[in-house]
Amino acid sequence: MTRSRSRSRTSPLAVAALLVTLQATACFGAPSGGDGIDAGDGGQLSVGLAFPPAQGLSPYGDDAVLLSRLGVVEPVAHLDGAGEPVPALAEDWERVADRTWRFTLRDGVTFHDSTPLTAEHAANSLLRASEASPIPRALKGIELSVSVVDDLILEVSTGEPDPILPRRLSSPNLAILAPSAYRGERVDPVGAGTGPFVIDEFDGVERATLVAHEEHWRGRPALDGIEARFVPDGATRAAGVRAGELDVADALPVAQAQALGEAELVEVQLPRVVSLYPNTADGPMADAGLRAAVRQAVDAEELTSSIFEGTADPAAGLFGDASPWAADRELPERTRPGSADGEELTLATYSDRAELPELATAIGDRLRREGFEVSQVVREYSELEVDLLDGAFDLVIGSRSYLLDTGDPVSYLASDFTCAGSYNLSRVCDSDVDAEVAEAATREAVDERQDAALRVERAILGDDLIVPIAHERARIGVADGVTGIAEDPHERLLVTGETTLE
Amino acid sequence: MSSTVAAGGRAATRGLRLIVTVLAVTVGIGLLPLLAGRDPALAVLRARAAEREPDDAALESVRSELGLDDGPVRFLLEWLAGLARGDPGTSWVSGQPIAPQLVAALGVSLTLAAAAVAVAAMLAAAFATRPLLRGVTGDHGAARSTVPAALAAVPEFLLASILVVAVAVPLAALPTAGWDGPVHAVLPAIALGVPTGAILGTITVDSVRAVFGEPWVRTWRAAGITPARLAPAVLRRALAVVCGQLGLIFAGLLGGAVAVEVVFAVPGIGRLAADAALAQDLPVVQACLLVLLAIGVITGTLGERAQRVLLGPALDTAALTAAQPLPRGRLRGGLAASGLVAALGAAVVIALTTDPDTVNLAARLEPPSMAHPFGTDALGRDLLARLGHGALHTVGVAVAVTAATLAIGLAVGLLNPRRGGGLVDVVNAVPPVMAGLVVAAVAGPGTFSAALAVGCVVWAPLARHAQLLVAEHLAAPHLDGARAVGAGKTWLLTRHVLPAVLPPLLRHSLVRLPAIALALASLGFLGLGAQPPAPEWGRLLGEALPYADRAPWAVALPVLALAVLGAAALALGNRLR
Repeated sequence: MTRSRSRSRTSPLAVAALLVTLQATACFGAPSGGDGIDAGDGGQLSVGLAFPPAQGLSPYGDDAVLLSRLGVVEPVAHLDGAGEPVPALAEDWERVADRTWRFTLRDGVTFHDSTPLTAEHAANSLLRASEASPIPRALKGIELSVSVVDDLILEVSTGEPDPILPRRLSSPNLAILAPSAYRGERVDPVGAGTGPFVIDEFDGVERATLVAHEEHWRGRPALDGIEARFVPDGATRAAGVRAGELDVADALPVAQAQALGEAELVEVQLPRVVSLYPNTADGPMADAGLRAAVRQAVDAEELTSSIFEGTADPAAGLFGDASPWAADRELPERTRPGSADGEELTLATYSDRAELPELATAIGDRLRREGFEVSQVVREYSELEVDLLDGAFDLVIGSRSYLLDTGDPVSYLASDFTCAGSYNLSRVCDSDVDAEVAEAATREAVDERQDAALRVERAILGDDLIVPIAHERARIGVADGVTGIAEDPHERLLVTGETTLE
Repeated sequence: MSSTVAAGGRAATRGLRLIVTVLAVTVGIGLLPLLAGRDPALAVLRARAAEREPDDAALESVRSELGLDDGPVRFLLEWLAGLARGDPGTSWVSGQPIAPQLVAALGVSLTLAAAAVAVAAMLAAAFATRPLLRGVTGDHGAARSTVPAALAAVPEFLLASILVVAVAVPLAALPTAGWDGPVHAVLPAIALGVPTGAILGTITVDSVRAVFGEPWVRTWRAAGITPARLAPAVLRRALAVVCGQLGLIFAGLLGGAVAVEVVFAVPGIGRLAADAALAQDLPVVQACLLVLLAIGVITGTLGERAQRVLLGPALDTAALTAAQPLPRGRLRGGLAASGLVAALGAAVVIALTTDPDTVNLAARLEPPSMAHPFGTDALGRDLLARLGHGALHTVGVAVAVTAATLAIGLAVGLLNPRRGGGLVDVVNAVPPVMAGLVVAAVAGPGTFSAALAVGCVVWAPLARHAQLLVAEHLAAPHLDGARAVGAGKTWLLTRHVLPAVLPPLLRHSLVRLPAIALALASLGFLGLGAQPPAPEWGRLLGEALPYADRAPWAVALPVLALAVLGAAALALGNRLR
C-alpha cells in the first residue's frame, strides 16, 4: 500500500510539470523582439505608455495619437511649439481661393509597405477620415472636399472659408496612410504609415514592437526599434524607469514624478487647464456674487505648489504659458464677492487622475470655511459624464485641453462656452459671449483669431463663468542616456527619428 | 438500470438549469444598465476618444453604427443567435472580433489564478501544519495564531504596490510589469495569493481542529494507530472543506483580480471585463461574464466533487460522528491583539477631539509628531483624527454586511445542504466591478448601494462552507437517534445542526471582515459608498497609496487598524464555541 501511494505521487508531479510547460507556451505572449530587427547599433527603446490602444489602432480615435507619438504615422503638417503649422508630409501650402487650400507633398516619401506617397493617397486618407464614425473633431462641420491636381499636389476645399485648415490637417486623426490600410472594412494602419517606425508585432493589450523605417524621408532613424509597453498604473511606470526596465515613461503621476532615481523628469507646459466650472444656469452658482466668492476661495498658487508639487503652473486665465500669444494680456476686473451664507454646493470631480480629488477636497474645505455647505462627489469619469453634461452639480473640477486637434482656441471656446456648445460644463448661455465667439470664428488671420479669443476670455473671466486653477505640464520620465525625446505641447510626438539611446 | 436513467435524467436537468442560470445572469447583468436607461453611445465614444466633445451628430453616428436604435431586444436576439453559432460578436469600442482577445485574456488569467491558488494553498498549509502535527500527538491545546487574521486584512493591491517598489525595482530578476513569461507571474501571484491564503488558512486550521474532536480519532489512537498514519486521515477529512473553497477562490480570482492586474500590467480577463463594463461595451461584457460564470460553475462543481470524494461514503451512510468539543484553543497573540484593540479604542476616542477634514496644505505628508501622533496625509489632514472619525462608519457597515452575508450563507446551507452548485458558483464568479455597476445603475449611489453590491457577491463562499458543514452534521448518527424519536426537520436543523455549524462559519465570516471593509471603499469610483471627504478606512488607504514610499506611515495606519480589527474579530470568534 505504501508503495502504491508513493508511485501515485509521481503522477501529479508529472501532470504539474506538463501543465507548467503548457502554460508557459500557451498563456504568455509571443516572445518579444520581432524578426525584423537587424543588428544595428541604435538600440531598442523601451517606452512605458499609460493606455493601450482602445480601438484596434483605428486612426479615427485616440489610438491615432498613440500611433503619432510612437512615430508610426504622420499628417501633412505638424504644429510647432507655438501652435503654428509647419511642414510634415506636405512641404508647402497656400490658400488659392476663399475656400480652397493647395498642398504640395514632399517628394520621395514612402509608406512602410514601400508604396511611394502620392497626392491620390493623401486625398483618399482625408476623404476616408471625413466619413469616419464619428467624424474626427478636426473635420467637424467643415464639409471637406479634395481634388488631386497632379502627382504631389492636392487641393482641399471647405464649405465655408476656413482660415485654419492647415492646423486642422495636423490632427493625428488625419494622418496619411497607404492604400493597403483601407482594404478591409476597418482601417488598419499596420504597415501603412510613413513615420520613422514600423509596427512589427502587436499583441493587442500589453506590448507592441516597432522597427526603424529605413526609407524614412528624414533618413534612417537613430534607433533600431521601440518596444512599447502599456502599463496602466502610473506608480508602476515610475518603478519601471527606476528598475531600468523602461527608458521612457509617459504620464507620470505627481506623487512619483520626483522619485525616478537616475532618470530625469522632463516637463512640458501644455495648453491644458484644470478649472472649476460653476453651474451658471441653475442653483447658487447662477449668482455672480457667489461665483466670485468661490473664485476668491481658490488659491491657485497654493494649490499648484502643494498638490501639484510645482509640476503645474498657477492659472490666472484660460490660456497659459504654452500659448505665448496670450502672454502680457490684461485680465478683466472681477465681480465683488457676495456672502456665502450657508449656501449648499455639490462639488464633483473624477478620480481617473489622483490630483483632481485632492484638489476637490482642498477647495471643498476652503469653501466650507468661507461659509458654504459643501458635499463632494467623486467618480470615475465614465460614471460621471452623463451627470456632468446634465448640470447635476453646482461645481465641477475638470482638466481640459484648449487647443486639442485644431490648435485653434476658438473651437474650444465655441464648444465650452456657447449656448449650443457640446461640452459646456459651466452651462453658459450668454448672448454677448455667443456673439464674441461667433465674431472670433470669422477672423481670417491667425493673430486676429487669437486676439478675439482673448476678448472672449475676458468676458468669461469677468463674470467668473470658469475659475482656472492650474496649467498642466506633461511629466515624462527619461532614463539616463536617452536623448531627443520630443517635447511637444500638443502631445502628438514622443519618440522620433532623432531619439537616441546610449 | 432505471435508477441510472433517473440519475442521468437528474444530471441532465441540473445541467440545463445551470446553463439557463448562467445565461440569465449574464444577460441580466449585461442589459440592466441599458434597461435602466443608460445610453452606451457616450461611454463608447469616450473609450475611443477621451476628449471628443459629445455633440449630437457624434452620438447619433455611434448609435447608428452600433445599431443601438434597434433597442435591447434586437441586440439580445442577435447576441443569442451569434452565440448559437459560437460567435460572441465584435466589440462595440474596438470593432474587432471578441473571441481572440477573450481567449488570450482568459489564458493569462487562468495561469495567474492557478499560480495564486498555489501560493494560497502553500500559505494555508503552512498555517495548518502546526495544529496538525500537535494534534496527531494528542495535544489539542495548540495555540491558534492571530497571524492569518491579521494577514487577511492586508489588501492585495497594497501588497502589489509594495512588491513592485520593494522587490521588483531592486531585483533585476523580477520585472515590475508585463506578461511575457512565467517570471512575470511570480509577484502578481504572491500579491493575490497571500490575503487569500490567510483566509484559507483560517478555514483549514478550523477544520483540522474540528476533525480532531471527532470520536474516531480517539478510537484510532486507542487502537495504537501511529501519528504518521493518523495525520493523512485527519488531513483528508479536513481538506473536504478546503477543496470546496479552493474552487470558489480560483473562479473568484479570474474576474476579481483587476487591481493587481492593473498594478502589474497583466492583460487578464478581469481588466478586460472591467474596462468593457465601464465603456458599456455590452458584447464584451456579456462574453466575459458568460465565460467567467461558466468556469465558475465548472470549478465549483469540481470542488464539490472533490469534497464528496474526500468525505467518501461517510456522508451517505451516516458514519460521520459529531465532534466532541475540544478544549478551547489559546490564542497566540491574543493578548497583543487585546492590547492593540484597547490602544485603537483609546486612539479613536482621542481622535474625536480633532477635526478630520481640516486641510492644511502647508503640512502635507508630515511624519508622526507631537501635534500629529500618526502624521498627516497628502492634504495635511491629521491621520489619527481621520482614523478615529472613520472607525464607527467603517466597522459598522462592515459588521452589518458581514452579519447579512453570514445569515444568507447559513440560510442557504440549512435549507439546501446537498445541492451545492448553481447560484453559489454563479454569484461567486461575478466580477465585483460588474456587481457594483449593476447596483449603481439600479439603486443609485450611496452607502447602502455599496453594502448591497459587496453583500451580493460575498455570501457565496460562506454558503458553500455552510452547505458542507450542514451536510456533515446531518449525516451524524446521533441525529438518526433524534429522527427515530420523531424529531422534525426544523427541530433537527435548529436544535442540533445550527449550534454546531455556527461557530466555524462565524469565524470564517469574521476573518473576511477587514476585506469587506476594504471592498466597500473600493467601489467608491463607481459612486457607491460614502463620498469624500468621509474618512472611511479604505479611502484612507487609497488616498495614501500613491505616496506609500514617501509617507509609509499614512499607509501603515489604516492597514494596522484593519489588521487589529481582523485579529480582534478572530479573538472574538475563538471565544464562541
